[in-house]
Amino acid sequence: MSVFSFSRASVVARKEWVDLLRDRKSIFWALFAVSISGPLVLCILYFVAKSVSERIDKTTAPIVNVAFAPDLVRHLERRGIKIDPEPADYRDRVKRGELDAVIVIEPDFQQAMAEGRPAKITLITESSRDRSAPIAAKLSREIERYAARIGSERLMLRGVSPVVASPVRVEELDLSSPEQRGARLLQVMSFYALFAGLMGAIAAALDVTAGERERQTLEPLLTTPVTAMELAVGKWFAVSAVNLLAVTISLTGFLVALQFVPLAKLGIPFSFGVREFAGFMAVLVPFAFMVPAVLLAIGAAGKTAKEAQSSLSIGASMVGLLPMISFLRQSQPPWWDALVPVNGQYATLSKVLRSETIPTLDWAAMWLIPAVIIAIALVGFSRTLSNEKLLAGR
Amino acid sequence: MISANQLTKQFTTKERGSTFSWRGKTRKITAVDKVSFEAEDGKITGLLGPNGAGKTTTLRMLSTLLTPDSGKATIDGADLATQKVAIRQKLGVLGDAKGIYWRLSPRENLLYFAKLQGMNRADAERRATQLIDELGLGALADRPTQGFSQGERMKVAIARALIHDPQTVLLDEPTNGLDIMSTRSMRELIRGLRAQGKCVLFSSHIMQEVSALCDRVVIIAKGRVVFDGTPPEVLAQSGASTLEDGFVRLIGSDEGLFA
Repeated sequence: MSVFSFSRASVVARKEWVDLLRDRKSIFWALFAVSISGPLVLCILYFVAKSVSERIDKTTAPIVNVAFAPDLVRHLERRGIKIDPEPADYRDRVKRGELDAVIVIEPDFQQAMAEGRPAKITLITESSRDRSAPIAAKLSREIERYAARIGSERLMLRGVSPVVASPVRVEELDLSSPEQRGARLLQVMSFYALFAGLMGAIAAALDVTAGERERQTLEPLLTTPVTAMELAVGKWFAVSAVNLLAVTISLTGFLVALQFVPLAKLGIPFSFGVREFAGFMAVLVPFAFMVPAVLLAIGAAGKTAKEAQSSLSIGASMVGLLPMISFLRQSQPPWWDALVPVNGQYATLSKVLRSETIPTLDWAAMWLIPAVIIAIALVGFSRTLSNEKLLAGR
Repeated sequence: MISANQLTKQFTTKERGSTFSWRGKTRKITAVDKVSFEAEDGKITGLLGPNGAGKTTTLRMLSTLLTPDSGKATIDGADLATQKVAIRQKLGVLGDAKGIYWRLSPRENLLYFAKLQGMNRADAERRATQLIDELGLGALADRPTQGFSQGERMKVAIARALIHDPQTVLLDEPTNGLDIMSTRSMRELIRGLRAQGKCVLFSSHIMQEVSALCDRVVIIAKGRVVFDGTPPEVLAQSGASTLEDGFVRLIGSDEGLFA
């Protein structure tokens, strides 16, 4: 066969690029989904975090038999907790979620306190409801703080240093920097950036493979001097360009959204500036070129767009599933994890967000592994394009 | 000038016993069986045969889309087996698949193929404008082809096949689905190609069409050449009074097209 001609491949790439961008509806919806989904999740996270911190700030403590423990009530009020005395139907209301937690004081609370017996307080909660948990935890903490104060006072009355009662002091030294704590919440960003690198390619990959066959334009194309490899490279380049556009739009969407969402106010220090943007692009550019190559190789085997679409959903679910493994894994990832496509990208993006230094080996993996996969996929893709069996429709 | 010598192509088909059987029986079907003929420059050669006779497979082999299992063919001296690129440059093909890009205008469709044929920009644009004028596509030239009528799409497809001014033109059922006016202008175009000294090979299953145009008829039935000669010779050899009767007798079946 003839030698590979870059000029013919670029003719194919330019034609596909124009053709793909003319498909306004598909392109618009793909890019719209990509640009909106990440920032939308960011906003949701922000509002959730905001409402939780507001609810914790404005905690009210419903107390049953409030009159039996005036000292505790004063303690809570001093700690900025409003008291809601004698709530009606409190068990049902906790069950239904109208109250987050209720403090029930036993009638003999003061007597037990006076006699030096443990005085009983019941904290009624509903632990299966996530949004009540921080409030219940706060009330429980305040009661323990009150108890500890009374305990030390008693020791002091007896002439014993309160230090005697706390033989061990736990001090936590959290090694994560503020950025890292924020990044944990915002790992969602890495996920959506990878998601954009897939979404941007699917519709385009379908169009230039099964679409070409279905519209009956592949056969005329193959009667010209263009080789299957030139077609494969041209198509891959055009789809990758569309995909790169999607990735850039998605990241820009994040940049814009972060200007409007004041995460720092909530104590989530999170920076996504030029440095992070560049780091993301350095990971996502090879990824944005790798995904289309794989999708094209899979999609080309489909005789119709419908057939190709169902086989492409494998690729789609891989990008969705693999980060889940890293997300849920409790143990240290194995060494080869960084080499697995998608997973490696996900890990490196997280490192960028955590402002960690990324070893050269990781960068090499980010570029070399996609390069190898692209080469294999393109050979497969070009073979399928010129496959006689598919041409004859059998 | 096309010269086909003993071209043969087999296909493997699969037959499934039932919906759930994994491996079906495979069967070999000989689509084209030792087909030989010649098509000369300045002449129109018709490849005539009922549906499924092997016309499209023959044309696909000549246009390098399928590789023959055996046999040889040359186009203007270039060997089909070894000089694929040279053949693709010499040939203009309007194949079985006549799709065009519907988001591109006729002019963009033509320019794409012109560039793939290696024409420079100026030549490509001049030739595209010339073909658009000749085929009366002027008013539509810069509109996306989505929503074009069958005839208009066929015009774009034939212009695309002729964009690089090929010496040899293969046309697979070029009048299929066209109305009378479009059919007539297609015939004019084919005669025009002959007048320019081109070698035209076109396939059809309609005897009248072939007799109206062809200098020479090659009749194919069940993958084999059953007749090769001029339209008057069809009558002489078959002993029939009309061309249609002659055609039916030569392909050896009274069921004709439904065989």
